[in-house]
Amino acid sequence: MRPYMLPALIGLVLGGLVHLVSVMALPRLALDDAHARLSQLGPMNRVSVIPDPTPFTATLPRMDPAFATAVCLYDLAGGALRVRVPTTPDYFSISFYTRHGLPYYAISDRAAGRRTVELDLMTAAQRAALPEDEEITAADRLIVESPSEEGIVLIRAFVRERGEREAVLARLSQAYCGSAG
Amino acid sequence: MRLFVVLLAFLVGAASGIGLTWFASARGHGFGAIQIGAWTAWPKSGTADADPYARAAFARSGELPIELADGIAFVATTDDAGRALDGRCDIRIHGRLPPARLWTITVYDGRGRLIDNAAERYAYTSAEVVWNADRAVEIVLAPRARGGNWLPTGGRDRVTAVLRLYEAPVGIGSRSGDSAEMPSVKQERCP
Repeated sequence: MRPYMLPALIGLVLGGLVHLVSVMALPRLALDDAHARLSQLGPMNRVSVIPDPTPFTATLPRMDPAFATAVCLYDLAGGALRVRVPTTPDYFSISFYTRHGLPYYAISDRAAGRRTVELDLMTAAQRAALPEDEEITAADRLIVESPSEEGIVLIRAFVRERGEREAVLARLSQAYCGSAG
Repeated sequence: MRLFVVLLAFLVGAASGIGLTWFASARGHGFGAIQIGAWTAWPKSGTADADPYARAAFARSGELPIELADGIAFVATTDDAGRALDGRCDIRIHGRLPPARLWTITVYDGRGRLIDNAAERYAYTSAEVVWNADRAVEIVLAPRARGGNWLPTGGRDRVTAVLRLYEAPVGIGSRSGDSAEMPSVKQERCP
């Protein structure tokens, strides 16, 4: 056996391990992920409108320019949050992601149906701690259970014609994300 | 000699492991891709079941994937013949599209940015596009202005087209996609 064979083989096995560990760790180590980019727009637990992407500046890569977009970075450590979004005349959706950008829930205008979509965002523990009578009245309340304390609420509204963009952005800027009450 | 052997093993390990991760997170979005003609989608990456490779790729790029319940994104980086999309050619996207409440087709440069042009046209939506009589669409990505549905490519050597179907029927992401009808992608008049 040649002297380099053994270290090379051990190296490749090690390489496989390094690869697996680094893939698993990448979401935690990435410095420029969606959360980091969006956190430059404004404070936590507040709705910020994301500037429309242009060829020179884009908050996130590969955004769909046909949409107006707003975001709320949330932290549920201080308690459940209420999210209230005025509907726009056309297709829109509210999508929920974990801190590391994993999508876990979405609701569109068709599923929501009313003039305003209102929902309560909480962790499983906070939901379990809801008083029972509240749980009953919660039947007509939309509760979204976040798998993590921190995460991202992305609100995207379709802009059918260019001339409507300002009006759609104005609607989105009225969205609320903050303490319930 | 023994130290040298150990060092070599570690060096090979670190280099191949990190290199593989770098490569895997830069290309594609994990397993479970469905491919129809030139178009590829990763339906699973829009769910909480996204595999570690999809998570790593999105963490690295900073992109937030479309939630599968909202829609699905098909990416084309090559034409039907497998040649890389070249913004100096006329790239013709033609055919019928799968059913969806609405769709958009956007062209990006090789780094995922929109392409600067005087008309500020970066995309077509199902609401704006001019349809053919047979419910097919024809969109041409080209460096020079032309009639019909034209998307400027600014003559970039690498471009990517992304077709996003919003509120598409669930079947399109869950089956192999044989039944889905996707438009053809052809390149002509290359320099």
